[in-house]
Amino acid sequence: MTIAHSSSSRPESLPPWVRRGLPALALAAIILTPFATGGKFHFHIAIMVCLGAMAASGLTVIAWVGQLSLAHGAFVGLGAYTSTLIVMRLGAPFFVGPLAAAVLVGVTAAAIGTPLLRLRGVYFVLITFALNELFRLVMLEIPSISGGSSGIPNIPPASFGSLILSSKSDFYVLALICLAGVMLTLWLIHRGLIGQRFAAIEENIALAEASGIPTARMQALAFIIGSSIAGFTGALMAHYIGFISPETFGFQLSVAYIVMLVVGGRLALCGALTGAIFLTPLPELLRGAVEYQHIFYGIALIVVLQFLPEGLVSLPTRLTNIGRSK
Amino acid sequence: MGFLISQSLVNGIILGTLYLLMSIGFTLVFGIMRVVNFAHGEFYMLGAFAAFFMVTLFQLPYVVALGLSFGGAIFLGAVIERIVFRPFRGDELSGMIASIGLAMILQNLALIAFSPDPMAMPSLASGAFRFGFLIVPKSRLLALGASAGILSLFYLFLMYTRTGRALRALVQDQEIAAAYGVRIELMYPLGFGLGVGLAAIAGAMMAPLFGVSPFIGETPLLKAFIVVILGGLGSIPGAVLASLLLGLIESFTSTFVSASAADIVVFALVVVVLLIRPSGLLGQEDA
Amino acid sequence: MKKYMTAILLIVAIFTTVPLAAQETLKIGALVTISGAGASWGQNMLRAAEMAAEDVNSKGGLKVGDTAYKVEIIPYDDGYKSNEAVTAANRLVFEDKVKYIVGTVGSAPILAIQPITEKNGVITLTLGFTSKALMPEKPFTFRPNLTTGEISQPQIDWIVKSQGLKTVGALFPNDETGQQIAKDVAKAYKKAGAVMTTEFFGRDRVDFIPLLTKLLAAGVDAIELDGNSPVTAGQIVQQARDVGFEGIIIRTGGPATQDIINVAGKAAAEGLFVHSGIDLAIPGVAAYQARYEKTYNAKMNGFSPYFFDGVNMLFKAMQIAGTVEDSAAVRDALAEIKDYPGVLGTLNWTGKEKYGIAHQIDAPFYVARVKDGEEVIVARCNVNVCK
Repeated sequence: MTIAHSSSSRPESLPPWVRRGLPALALAAIILTPFATGGKFHFHIAIMVCLGAMAASGLTVIAWVGQLSLAHGAFVGLGAYTSTLIVMRLGAPFFVGPLAAAVLVGVTAAAIGTPLLRLRGVYFVLITFALNELFRLVMLEIPSISGGSSGIPNIPPASFGSLILSSKSDFYVLALICLAGVMLTLWLIHRGLIGQRFAAIEENIALAEASGIPTARMQALAFIIGSSIAGFTGALMAHYIGFISPETFGFQLSVAYIVMLVVGGRLALCGALTGAIFLTPLPELLRGAVEYQHIFYGIALIVVLQFLPEGLVSLPTRLTNIGRSK
Repeated sequence: MGFLISQSLVNGIILGTLYLLMSIGFTLVFGIMRVVNFAHGEFYMLGAFAAFFMVTLFQLPYVVALGLSFGGAIFLGAVIERIVFRPFRGDELSGMIASIGLAMILQNLALIAFSPDPMAMPSLASGAFRFGFLIVPKSRLLALGASAGILSLFYLFLMYTRTGRALRALVQDQEIAAAYGVRIELMYPLGFGLGVGLAAIAGAMMAPLFGVSPFIGETPLLKAFIVVILGGLGSIPGAVLASLLLGLIESFTSTFVSASAADIVVFALVVVVLLIRPSGLLGQEDA
Repeated sequence: MKKYMTAILLIVAIFTTVPLAAQETLKIGALVTISGAGASWGQNMLRAAEMAAEDVNSKGGLKVGDTAYKVEIIPYDDGYKSNEAVTAANRLVFEDKVKYIVGTVGSAPILAIQPITEKNGVITLTLGFTSKALMPEKPFTFRPNLTTGEISQPQIDWIVKSQGLKTVGALFPNDETGQQIAKDVAKAYKKAGAVMTTEFFGRDRVDFIPLLTKLLAAGVDAIELDGNSPVTAGQIVQQARDVGFEGIIIRTGGPATQDIINVAGKAAAEGLFVHSGIDLAIPGVAAYQARYEKTYNAKMNGFSPYFFDGVNMLFKAMQIAGTVEDSAAVRDALAEIKDYPGVLGTLNWTGKEKYGIAHQIDAPFYVARVKDGEEVIVARCNVNVCK
């Protein structure tokens, strides 16, 4: 979250309980809306927001070490396929799926991360882009495992023993719990030693290296954590939507996460969440006008980058600053 | 077998030259501005639409259409550079993300304006020339010739004009170039405009071959990525080498193995090159 | 005095006529591809539904039981992508609360949305070619158009015999639709006595010269184009002729002739063998085509009349069942319709043997040859044989 200014020296600014409480209240209201309206479709949107926020939060962790990954969609896909195959082909109970997904994706990220992360900036983006495409192409070529282009339908819903979460309102609760878990993870990293090291690397990698931080290992760690979160999210996604195919996890998905991240706030703890809340329900407001929606995303991206580089989460601070400076 | 090999060679060279025209603008933009322009393909698409309308609606001769597409794109590119990319000079990642946003805007504007249905631009020539047992489709030969012409002109421009030399200096080293009096304020919009202009003229040229729709930009973007990664971001000789390589790999793998194998081989190659030699075959070593 | 009389008469008139004209709305979802590959099929499906709706609405609504329903078509674009189809299906079923959906175009999307539609008793009229779309476990799905499964054998038998074909090269996209069609068509050619080799390619490929070179070198008698999106088919035809292929080009299914001609030009498309569901000599379908072209100022795609008939059959089923709410009853009524007089001809349901459930339309169809930019019928067919 943004750093709070001390209020005692500025009597006209808002007291901390308002500054912290108001967004929290707003968040609670947003979270509880579907329960209030009871509309199944509202639950659907809320669940998609949670899943989007989770995946984009994984991207946040990677952004914390100054890297931008265009392979995030592929990691989400890898997690989705892992969980689906383990639960459907090997008959494992549901809760094994997402955990196995997180582990497998984490291991994969560890394996390929080290050579990958030697590339910085633009080159890292390019190679993750290539990997994303490669994942999609390979999945298309192994139909016996992946179902090929027709994908895998009828994925069983989330269940814990005899408790089957087949209704949207039930799954929403699970999604909220998982989102809370992911946000907690991010918060713990952020305020801990690891988070500080990440920040140092993001600011100036040469300096960080010179001051003794094992930058390569830290970057790999960020990549592993971020991608594992993506894999975990993918698994949940698979069991919620009930259908996956290679096309779902292509370049467009990776771009969607980047848009959420950048518009919400690239480095902020709640940046991904903010981005997801604002961007996911948009299709509903601009129903049927898909093209206008994408134009809006594009403009939002450019405007945010130019005028609000820290994303929407910095908007309240910016506004209060503007008010104060008058 | 001899037929297959030699025909694949011919196909590969033709394809490679077309890919070169598609990607040269992309590598130029990166070389000058250090921006990975995700909207590159959309300028290709706009060039194709421009040529399509000029030829079919306004009955302009094809060469005029090519020229107008080129000029229009340079102008549009220069304007966009000022509005969208100027704040990000020096910030590669933000510039790149901004270009993603630009791509979304351009493609969807085209979708609204032109509808998603692909339109067919009449081919300038049909049928094929036969050299012995080699077959060269006339339309492709035409495109090949025109591409070679454009690329040669561009090469002459880069080598022998003052502006061209200024651009090359910028590509080599920006600080020193500025110290020598290269006017960045002029060169950046010009460079970007030229880069996307080349994309547009590629689109205009290949419209009769590959069709016209708001989605045709995806392929050139992909090819441009591959070519510049293999050849080196910002290296024009590298782009030449890499496009030919790409054309040949695709041609041979598609003909002798399968089309999907070709796609996978290419991407795997990209990954390998990035890991072993990120600056590409002939690229500049990055700081 | 006169003023009061007219006022009283008016009020009486209003009160007596209003109950008789009780108007409710019947919402029908259209989950089709409006952008990207397959857009022309999707738009044609949507417009077919709109025209059918317009027909009943202009007569005061669809009369089911005592109520006249104004039919409202609610369109959504799935972009031929399964996950977007799922989002749209969620919206249609849970927010718009429809019980009837026209769609999807693609095979993978219909498989993706069936868990939602079947579970919630939503009748779907899909174009998707996959044989997995129709099965006894999915009683709410119907297919109002013919697929390669139905048409390929009789057509291919006829073409192989009449043209003396021995080898055929086929180019298919490697997605669900393409793979399904490849299976059906290869089987049909084999049974007809010709050998078919297949090249699969990625959906977004635009350059087919290397693949065509391969086929040329193999010396195939004919090239099969079925299953490709109309524009891709056009590009293949154009490039095949450019590369000097002089043999026969066949498109066993999936109406695409107009687009092929648009892309490849009349000269390249000359002599193309295509499947057609339309015999313009039948007044009903000629009238439909004329109406379509006048209303939308665009050429009609061959799938459109199937869905016009399909939606009308659905309306009839509602009238027979006497309800629009009870989709199970409507479903049963729909499945029981026999010898329906559609614009295409006499229609029946078939498919019990092949799919386990008779929800596949059986309609007359034809083999046509392209002459000077128009389809000319050269053989008439049913699911067993072409003459």
